[in-house]
Amino acid sequence: MVWPFGGNNNKEQEAAPESSQQLQQTLGFDPSTISDVSNIIKSPGVFDTNSLHPLAGLDKDLEYLDLEDEQLSPLEGSQGLIASRGWSDDLCYGTGTAYLLGLGTGGLYGFREGVANLPKGADVSGKLKLNTILNHVTRRGPFLGNSAGVLAVTYNIINSTLDSFRGKHDTYNSLAAGALAGAIFKSSKGIKPMAISSGLMVLAAGAWCGLKELLS
Amino acid sequence: MSADHSRDPCPLIIVNDFGGAFAMGALGGTVWHGIKGFRNSPIGERRIGAISAIKARAPVVGGNFGVWGGLFSTFDCTVKAIRKREDHWNAIIAGFFTGGALAMRGGWKQTRNSAITCACVLGVFEGVGMMFQRFMAVQNKPMAPDFGEAPAAPAPLGA
Repeated sequence: MVWPFGGNNNKEQEAAPESSQQLQQTLGFDPSTISDVSNIIKSPGVFDTNSLHPLAGLDKDLEYLDLEDEQLSPLEGSQGLIASRGWSDDLCYGTGTAYLLGLGTGGLYGFREGVANLPKGADVSGKLKLNTILNHVTRRGPFLGNSAGVLAVTYNIINSTLDSFRGKHDTYNSLAAGALAGAIFKSSKGIKPMAISSGLMVLAAGAWCGLKELLS
Repeated sequence: MSADHSRDPCPLIIVNDFGGAFAMGALGGTVWHGIKGFRNSPIGERRIGAISAIKARAPVVGGNFGVWGGLFSTFDCTVKAIRKREDHWNAIIAGFFTGGALAMRGGWKQTRNSAITCACVLGVFEGVGMMFQRFMAVQNKPMAPDFGEAPAAPAPLGA
């Protein structure tokens, strides 16, 4: 899918004129050396079936079998640890992971809190205990999950916008997107909370980029 | 029905659906509650009213969408794995379980009603999808070109 918010996406289309070296590769002969038909027929490699067949060179790349929507993102720097087909993959997977992690962490925290705050007494029914725990889980889990999810949505949208304007996907984009996302997240609380959340998001983005570098 | 090849294979797609549904809900909730907060605030506080409504409610809408989409995807994958086929019933069964699971805290009756409602809604979705598919198929049906009237058979000899 094409990124909807502008940017320079047509860089690859301004292809440089093909050098004779490249023509030699694709055609199997150099067209500048050819003057008439007998010359063509006699030149070596013209009737090489490997270069005449449309599916020649299958060992190099399966481009004829690639569907357009399923290609991995051609953006510079995006072929890293995690394969991505573009901004929609980044957004969905990033948000989903952050949301599920937030939900799980918050839910566990709420579970422990609920277990610690169980109503005491001999006549407390099991249903009441279950409800206490569930209430604590559903108070903490969705709150943390929603916050993490909103942060991830903001971060990924800003990151993809920066990617499309700069034409590459790198650590600086990530850090800037983290800073902006953190600032926007706390933008109604004042300057100091904005700075704190911005700094935390930069740290998180940096840690993620470092992890990607380390593992790939 | 052929598989949709632009979607990832099963356990992974759950994370994708969680995120996609969350993002859709959060962005849609921003627009929805932005407008609602703006309209419900007194003149002079409309902008701040819109912002506080967005802050308070958009993440919740996102969370509700996300949990629905993620649970649906989880059940869809489970149903696919158990039935070993892909048809319109998968979505309906998954919708039944999703609606039931989300209403579980309301008690048995609530769970049952919600499950049935959700299955019906998904059934309508699938039905509309099928109708569209049929309609598109009719539009693209191969047709023999019109060659005009066939020439009259030659008169029999000796007539």
